[in-house]
Amino acid sequence: MHRLMSSMSSGAVSGQVKSAPTAPLLEMRGISKTFPGVRALDDVSLEAYAGEVHMLLGQNGAGKSTLIKILCGAYRPDRGEFLVDGRPASIASTADARRLGVAVIFQEFSLVPYLDIAQNIFLGREFRSRIPGVIDRGRMHREAQRTLAILGVDLDTRLRIHQLGVAQQQMVEIAKALSQNARILVMDEPTAALSDREIERLFEQIRKLKQEGIAIIYISHRMGEVFALGDRITLLRDGRKVASMRPADTTMDALVRMMAGREVSTTYRRGFCENPGEVAIEARALESANGVRGANLVVRAREIVGLAGLVGAGRTELARALFGADRITGGALRLYGAAVANNPAASVRGGMGLVPENRKAEGLALGRSVQDNILVAGLHRLFPNRWYQFRKAHRAAADLIARLSVATPSPRRLAKFLSGGNQQKVVIGKWFNAGSRVFIFDEPTRGIDVAAKAEIYNIMEKLVADGAAVLVISSELPEIVAVCDRAYVMRDKTIVGELSRAELTEENILKLAMHDG
Amino acid sequence: MIARRLIGVLLLSAALALSADAFPTTSNLLNVLRQASLIFLAASGVTLVILAAGLDLSIGANLGLSACLTAAAIKATGAISVGAAAGLACGTLIGIANGLMVTQLRLPPFIATYGMLWMVYGINYWYMAGETIYGFPAEFRALGSGYFLGVPAPVYLMTAALVAGGIFTRYTTFGHEVYAIGANAEAARLSGIPVRRRLMLVYTLSGAMAGLAGVVYLARLNSAEAGIGDPLLLPAIAAVLIGGTSLFGGVGGLFGTLIGAVILTLVLNGMNLLAINANWQPLVTGAIVLLAAWIDAAARKRAEARDA
Amino acid sequence: MVDALARRAARIPGVAYLLVALVLVFSILTPRFASAPNLFNIGTQSAILLLLALPMTFIIMTEGLDLSMGAVLGLAGVVLAMLLVNGSALPLALAAALGVGLLFGAANGLLVVILGMPPFVATLGTLGIAQGIALAATGGQSVVGIGNTLPSLYASSWLGLPFSVVVGAAGYAVFHFVLYYTRFGNYVFAIGGNREALMLAGVRSRWYHLSIYSLGGLMAGFDALLLTGRMSAGHPIAAMGMEFDAIAAVVVGGTERQRGNGWLPGTVLGVLSVGVLKNGLNVLAVPSSLQVASIGLLLITALLIDSIRRAK
Repeated sequence: MHRLMSSMSSGAVSGQVKSAPTAPLLEMRGISKTFPGVRALDDVSLEAYAGEVHMLLGQNGAGKSTLIKILCGAYRPDRGEFLVDGRPASIASTADARRLGVAVIFQEFSLVPYLDIAQNIFLGREFRSRIPGVIDRGRMHREAQRTLAILGVDLDTRLRIHQLGVAQQQMVEIAKALSQNARILVMDEPTAALSDREIERLFEQIRKLKQEGIAIIYISHRMGEVFALGDRITLLRDGRKVASMRPADTTMDALVRMMAGREVSTTYRRGFCENPGEVAIEARALESANGVRGANLVVRAREIVGLAGLVGAGRTELARALFGADRITGGALRLYGAAVANNPAASVRGGMGLVPENRKAEGLALGRSVQDNILVAGLHRLFPNRWYQFRKAHRAAADLIARLSVATPSPRRLAKFLSGGNQQKVVIGKWFNAGSRVFIFDEPTRGIDVAAKAEIYNIMEKLVADGAAVLVISSELPEIVAVCDRAYVMRDKTIVGELSRAELTEENILKLAMHDG
Repeated sequence: MIARRLIGVLLLSAALALSADAFPTTSNLLNVLRQASLIFLAASGVTLVILAAGLDLSIGANLGLSACLTAAAIKATGAISVGAAAGLACGTLIGIANGLMVTQLRLPPFIATYGMLWMVYGINYWYMAGETIYGFPAEFRALGSGYFLGVPAPVYLMTAALVAGGIFTRYTTFGHEVYAIGANAEAARLSGIPVRRRLMLVYTLSGAMAGLAGVVYLARLNSAEAGIGDPLLLPAIAAVLIGGTSLFGGVGGLFGTLIGAVILTLVLNGMNLLAINANWQPLVTGAIVLLAAWIDAAARKRAEARDA
Repeated sequence: MVDALARRAARIPGVAYLLVALVLVFSILTPRFASAPNLFNIGTQSAILLLLALPMTFIIMTEGLDLSMGAVLGLAGVVLAMLLVNGSALPLALAAALGVGLLFGAANGLLVVILGMPPFVATLGTLGIAQGIALAATGGQSVVGIGNTLPSLYASSWLGLPFSVVVGAAGYAVFHFVLYYTRFGNYVFAIGGNREALMLAGVRSRWYHLSIYSLGGLMAGFDALLLTGRMSAGHPIAAMGMEFDAIAAVVVGGTERQRGNGWLPGTVLGVLSVGVLKNGLNVLAVPSSLQVASIGLLLITALLIDSIRRAK
């Protein structure tokens, strides 16, 4: 009776979207999670409503993936609670999450390449035939086809995943979630590898899912999508929730600023470079195996040049190409005017050093000592005749440790026990030891405490004062503006513009970095 | 790490001295040293490969083929130096081939060197055609069975290899780079280390040392037939693992391999003295390999859990 | 037209071409190769290898390796022979052989999956242990006098086909069914292709993974039936190196070590290729030692082609 009346009343108000439910389908309250050495999430709360797309924004390391992993039961939070349909729920395992109707589609799909679509959809939930252990293939394929049909997808369920394109694989993931009667669907960067037409189809699917009353949590870096698809937005930064609002109440610029802004950098000022020196790096129409195209770039001695852009713009790829870590497929690259072979060893010999984004996996050997790590790139320079002299090595290492103020009880301490900031200093020290004159920093201050950040800026400033050339990649606009003499902006794996000192403002960077419109 | 193993050596020796009267005699102890030296020579090269997080399963077959070629060369030319050179060259070539497969063809080390094991094994058996070559000049035999100043000759060679290897790993930049590659190959590459060239080097050295060990082994046995090297693969790997060198790379060293060789030889020697059937030896060696590898894997898991 | 043909041709696996090429080459080189008794020989010998290669396919699909199969087969054969010599009935003796195989297989699984040891060193260790036990128990000698039951069973014909071929075919049928029609088979693909996905789906993949190694040991034990039947004796190192042939057969047959890409029919073709190669070289009076070397070459070539194709 009650239902009949409400449907009549909504029918009477023709043309209006049905009113939003009053209670959220999912509520996460006060979620906190700390890993050794880093506070991944600090008191984060989020509400997802049925039939709505809730956009989750934030830079790498902001805590989005940790939140998602907690929601799907892969991690347990240190503090916090969940409510589903207004009732308290416990998510202690992936099974719990599934039972509550949570389904997550990660960027690296959870699909088995050499099983077919139906087998993937029902992985772990196979239909048994009368013989134990044997799968009822007929029923499995029928059910799979039914689910695909709901999504309007026309694929032969006997196709194996490795035969499908990325967009199609994503459809399978969505079908998998749907067949699990998911009510809360999380999608992590779903459009990262899709063409425009495929993105359109995906949006259609999402609208269908909304109609089914599913709550969708959607992680994305693309501003255009946020406003095209989102009903609500939550922004994370450094593990905390910065803001939550409706798209109508904000703008793209405001969002990017909220994601990127940090207090410390805005108070940092330096004396900018009036007279840059010789050309250290010169790239012309550079193309790399990782997708970089048409990159024209110059970095001179005594300059700090910034490389800005949104996530996915290709900055790390360009840095790796310049360093020789990725294969260069086109264009020209010169280091101090000379051609350089396309491998890291040659770049290092030519005076280049790369401080990678992922310092633990690519910058350090965690199981080796601070001394070994800090000397490893400069062994040839320190000992030209290849004889390793311990006393000289100790002195060189101690000298570097002191110069960079690396906090370690002894040079023999294993690198894995150092804090993030000190690990970063060891990586930088490595290049000091190698006698590098060109430094490429990739997100040097990410995940580092405030005090260490300032030290890193000082190091960079001292480097250029001593005649080095520095290229800095950063996702933080205020950092680029405060630290760099000028900056290039990247978008879609190519350099779309250069901003001089006078032009270097956050607005100008944003304008170049985002998709127009 | 070394200290614990040295204590192990002492404890083992004490236990053996108590259980077998024949153990603490000079001749027996010198024999133990001789055996351990032979194992060490075979295992020294592969220690470097494992330090770089690689693997060389072909050293046993390599040793055998090298010994046979040495034998044939000595018989053919009458010159010991030619024979030794032949054996060394054979070992080195196999090492180079392994290195090429791993660095240029990017084949996974354990499958590549395992395939090489069987290829060399087959060539060895075909070449020898079931024959045995025996009877070598006394000067040559002295290399393996002789004594200088009361100490078995192989011990001098072992010491030389230990010193050379120790210098390489600790006193040259090459050695430090090998450790860096084993600890984190990608970080090493991004630090400007020419990873492929260093890997080429260690695989070549592994092969060369197996060749050298083949020459010495021939001198000891005074006869060569196909397959004499095959039973040495397990003991060599056992020596490396007991010595504390991790299969995952970046940790360990040659002195550890030496101690590992000594410990293993003590165990096998003890078995001999206690009149345990020699057929049990491969079994015991296999069990020791498993034990050492388990300890290695468990330590790594604990370390990973701590950094997670 | 040529384009369409080229596309159809590309879908035929390389191992099929290889097998055909080998058969053609040897048939041309010597008329004795293509004779009925010789082909019969290839069939019976391949059956023994097939029983090892089938579980090895599962193991390699899950990024593993089992170097101990040959030694375990030898030990199981010795156990089987010894029991027969002592007068035990064949079923009991076979059960003992199966038990031995299962024990070693489970040990391998424990070491690799639970303790986290690299497969090659774990199975290298169990190889040494199995071989050691077999050598110690027999003193390196054959175990003869196993009576007539087993040899006559081996020599018997079923529907015109030799016993071993029938067993091989049955073994293939079972493995094919398991891999493509059961949950276990799905999980084999998943453990190799995306272990994370399996974990997220709430499956306790470790036990399935362990079972894959146990299955390898079990089949090695079962294979003792054929090997001992053929030799009419049990010998500790009779099967030494057979795991290498099995690995070569699986890799040549197109099973990849990554991504869970396993193709069981390919393993059959690979086994036949290895069998044809060895047999052909035999007929040409190439010494068996070089045959071994050539298998090694075959394996490395297959790996090379595999890595080239993946790089493209």
